[in-house]
Amino acid sequence: MVGRSLLLALAVGLIATSAHAEIARVKSASGVAVVQRGTTRIPAATGQELLPGDYLETGKTGRISLTFIDNTRFAVGPNSRIAVSKFEYDRTRQQGSFVTQVDRGSLAIVSGKIAKSGRDAMQVRTPNSLLGVRGTRFIVEVPK
Amino acid sequence: MSPRGLALCLTIALGGCAHSSMVLLPDEDGGHGQVAILESGGKPTNAIVSEANSRASLGGAPSIKPAGNLKPEEAALVGDLPPPAKSFTLYFLEGTTDMTAESGPVLEEIRSEIARRSGAEVQVTGHTDTVGSAADNDALSQKRAEEILNLLASKGFDRSIMSAVGRGERELKVPTADNVESPANRRVEVIVR
Repeated sequence: MVGRSLLLALAVGLIATSAHAEIARVKSASGVAVVQRGTTRIPAATGQELLPGDYLETGKTGRISLTFIDNTRFAVGPNSRIAVSKFEYDRTRQQGSFVTQVDRGSLAIVSGKIAKSGRDAMQVRTPNSLLGVRGTRFIVEVPK
Repeated sequence: MSPRGLALCLTIALGGCAHSSMVLLPDEDGGHGQVAILESGGKPTNAIVSEANSRASLGGAPSIKPAGNLKPEEAALVGDLPPPAKSFTLYFLEGTTDMTAESGPVLEEIRSEIARRSGAEVQVTGHTDTVGSAADNDALSQKRAEEILNLLASKGFDRSIMSAVGRGERELKVPTADNVESPANRRVEVIVR
């Protein structure tokens, strides 16, 4: 019975991972606002899904706001280039790790479940620093 | 820019030209968390930004100061943050997909919450009581969440914005010992983001 439960749990885990590649959704966007996935540039329209590794890019008047599946919230300001370099999240256990890279521009963050799941489980990298997010709301700015 | 200024900027550019900074804000509920500056200018640091409304410069030795008023572009950025997720709880008659009388109106609240939000997304989360093994309850709660997702879809909720998650017995509404039956804990939480 234990063996069977374990198999079942593994199966459920696999389904949960494969069916939920989506990690976030765009809530609103304006100006030039793009999701770059590999070499594909997708307009960051309301409802657009994000996958791990995606870049968020905005132009001079561009803005994007989005919410992640762990309840983390982002607002991306103009002239920004931001990568969701790593997003791993177990929705059943509410544990994971999350690395965002701000190459340039501005980003407001309200952290979610991942930041609560372990010390520095959520990190933000800028060209010259690395931040550990310990459950909070903050802004990061990287001028050009 | 003077040649000297340019040279200085180029020097800094090797370690990241921009003078990055961060501002720690109070949380929406009034408390606040912390941000640890783990590395700055390529070196590990022990600096922790722990006071709300403080500004830290990044790149060199971290300097942390009171932030004063936010710049207009910073205030606009904060104003752009999406609203927090909202959670609703549904109860069902045991072993069925028939909602309790109290849960009917909640369904309508969920409908209007989705309509109110731009780019709404819905997580249907199953919770069990503590009867049975943790692994069985994970599977059971996942199955329950999928069942209720289908029910919501049949009531006109957009399937493409919904996902099902099983939390098993990890998040008890009413704390109990192991192997205790509890109708209050057997519930489905609908989170609207």
